[in-house]
Amino acid sequence: MNDADVSKQIQQMVRFIRQEAEEKANEISVSAEEEFNIEKLQLVEAEKKKIRQEYEKKEKQVEIRKKIEYSMQLNASRIKVLQAQDDVVNAMKESASKDLLNVSRDHHVYKRLLKDLIVQSLVRLKEPGVLLRCRKEDLHLVESVLDSAKEEYASKVNVHPPEIIIDDVHLPPGPSHHHGFFHHHAEAHGPFCSGGVVIASRDGKIVFENTLDARLDVAFNKKLPEIRKWLFGQVAA
Amino acid sequence: MEANRGQNGIQQLLAAEQEAQHIVNSARNAKMARLKQAKEEAEKEIAEYRAQVEYEFKKKVAESSGYSGANVKRLETETDAKINHLKNEAARISHDVVQMLLKNVTTVRN
Repeated sequence: MNDADVSKQIQQMVRFIRQEAEEKANEISVSAEEEFNIEKLQLVEAEKKKIRQEYEKKEKQVEIRKKIEYSMQLNASRIKVLQAQDDVVNAMKESASKDLLNVSRDHHVYKRLLKDLIVQSLVRLKEPGVLLRCRKEDLHLVESVLDSAKEEYASKVNVHPPEIIIDDVHLPPGPSHHHGFFHHHAEAHGPFCSGGVVIASRDGKIVFENTLDARLDVAFNKKLPEIRKWLFGQVAA
Repeated sequence: MEANRGQNGIQQLLAAEQEAQHIVNSARNAKMARLKQAKEEAEKEIAEYRAQVEYEFKKKVAESSGYSGANVKRLETETDAKINHLKNEAARISHDVVQMLLKNVTTVRN
């Protein structure tokens, strides 16, 4: 071989070496881009998913909190209404309670009522001997109807007329005009009685409260469903 | 003379090899740098995404709290109306109820 040939061969080899290197570099470069894209995409998608889940959870918590708050508001409102219902109904009872005082003022009517109450109590108790308690202010009215009450009971139930002892302990007096009842804060909370009688068996074991106040309680409780129906259109407990 | 030319040729080849190595190494370094960039760019995109999602979330929360404020107001108004109606009804029937109760108390069925 001559110099020129050798030189040419060397040049070819140099070019070849260079070409191979550049091809290799190119491959590396291409794979670098591919791996770059894949890596970046994977990282981003993984984190995005986590972030979405995180915020979904946050939104749910907010939802739940709002539902709870609304539910509490609803309950508070319901309680408010129920309380108002209660207040309104009790006010009626209070009003009736005040009016009870007038019952004992008409002595003619009241006298008849006392007799009926005594008879009713005797029928309830069915005892041959009883103890009767009344207000001090009703004493003379009670005494005036006692005998006819005994007779009425006796003939009704077909027994001997019972023995009625009037207790010297009296029921508390009615609230007076001058203080207390109409000015709510003073005497109203002390014991008072609007009228009627309390009758007990001689041994004191059976007691029947037939006072006007006790009767009002009974009537009120019995009529409560009806009253509530009138007011709110539904029968509630 | 021939020995010299042989030397020259070999030197050229060695130089070419070295350069080739250099080229490939550069490519490898560039690749590593590029992969590192992947992490950095990913982080940037993620931060942007998070900011976007946070913004949407806050907007949603503000909207719905306005809505529930209005709900609470509505509830209050309804409740007050119910109670007012109740009081009116009560006033209407109170007298009759009291009379009924009194009658019950003063009537004795014997």
